[in-house]
Amino acid sequence: MGDWTGELSLDLENRNGKTVAGNVFFQGAFKVMRPIYHDDSGQVCYYLLNPGGGYLDGDRYRMKISAGEDSKVTLTTQSATKVYKTPKDHVYQESEILLKKGSYLEYLPDPLIAYENAHYKQKNVVRMESGSTFLYTDILTPGWSPSGEKFSYDTIQLKTEIYLDGKLGVFDHIKLSPEDNSVEGLGFMEGFTHLGSLMAVSEETDNQLLDELYDKIYSEQANIKFGLSKLAIPGLSIRVLANSTQIIERIFNDCHKIISRKLNHATPRSLRKY
Amino acid sequence: MDKNILSLFQLCDSNFPTGAFSHSFGLESYIQDNLVTDQETFYRWLQVYLHEQLVYTDGLACSLVYEALSIEDFERIWELDRLLTVQNLPRETREGTQMIGSRMLKLAQTLFGFPILSKYNEEIRKKHSFGHPSIVFTMVAHGLGVSKTNAILYYLYSSISSMVQNGVRAIPLGQTGGQMIIHRFVSDLTKAVEKILLLGEEDFGIVSPGLELSQMKHERVNIRIFMS
Repeated sequence: MGDWTGELSLDLENRNGKTVAGNVFFQGAFKVMRPIYHDDSGQVCYYLLNPGGGYLDGDRYRMKISAGEDSKVTLTTQSATKVYKTPKDHVYQESEILLKKGSYLEYLPDPLIAYENAHYKQKNVVRMESGSTFLYTDILTPGWSPSGEKFSYDTIQLKTEIYLDGKLGVFDHIKLSPEDNSVEGLGFMEGFTHLGSLMAVSEETDNQLLDELYDKIYSEQANIKFGLSKLAIPGLSIRVLANSTQIIERIFNDCHKIISRKLNHATPRSLRKY
Repeated sequence: MDKNILSLFQLCDSNFPTGAFSHSFGLESYIQDNLVTDQETFYRWLQVYLHEQLVYTDGLACSLVYEALSIEDFERIWELDRLLTVQNLPRETREGTQMIGSRMLKLAQTLFGFPILSKYNEEIRKKHSFGHPSIVFTMVAHGLGVSKTNAILYYLYSSISSMVQNGVRAIPLGQTGGQMIIHRFVSDLTKAVEKILLLGEEDFGIVSPGLELSQMKHERVNIRIFMS
């Protein structure tokens, strides 16, 4: 695939305790705002944005991020990723994230909203060196449809591969095609509309962290269904089914705080964008 | 040939001691939540388990492993072993499957002695591979000269029939009810195989969020009759 609608590449490194960009490149409909330092920890925060406001038919996006040794990075988006109807060709986004020893990178994008007849494919490839820490969340939401059906998008497909020291350690493949399968029901979305996933990979993951996260999510009052478990490599994954974006965001914010305190030894600032 | 199919049937028998009877793959969570309560709800649950989970994981793996065996591409098999293991996010289910796989492998080695089985065992011993029942089963089927289509079909049949036995015990259902489900599943199994034959690696590992989540939830269930 040669013609990218938007491309972004960002190399980050630790310079005397402060994480700075060694190289920033973006072109087309993909942009990154100037770096923000929320505190004096040296951790940098970048907001990614799509100046077009949404993904359209056949759009192709590519992002490459590398976190150098001992760098600390937060990546988020400025607002939800909206995928409008794709009558001709699906929208595709691929990301490659490299983490060097001792680095901490969290990628916490806003929810993905897939509108009527939208077809979206995403592939994330994360390559970690041992001793690095990676945190990732995504929230999938159905867009509004004039016909009032709950699931009106065509397909949402997300693939995530996490390699640890060159070996595949996590493979996650979500594909929701409301037309092909009875997505709504038993075994699938269980009657819920929104799906949230969280993954954390770190050598410091232990049962105590899982218990703490479990207790926190268990105390959630809203109607949700969730599960969490240890990965095949040191790390954990969480899935949440709910009926609104806000509920999953609230849960993931709480989890983010707990995970960040344990794995990044810092209490994160709110990433509120408005 | 009939003799070979008969030999493979031994692996399909729900009495074949792999320990599969200790694993509910999330079914127990549904039973405890009163979502699977009788023959009809169990049938629907099994359909999701087959068409939305097994098809994209174990079933597709049978197909891909069979092809790799045909061209002796062993690296490819070890790759699929890793993929099957790391895509299985719920720890209990992942470890349970691994246990079933290694027990099946030991028995199959004793019974059939195909060199590929020892090779697989060696990979696992060196911790390069994990061990998965669908791979062991396919190795045996291939070694016995059973066709790819039948290898997939019999594997899925054995998974479903052992799940039905688990359901019969846990829901509980009568033995006749269990047999009626297996009988109804004949067309489901055929459909599943037809679908798998049209799939490729890019379809591998598609998850059913609800099933996966219940498999995770089971890890926190205190009163239980199944290990997963």
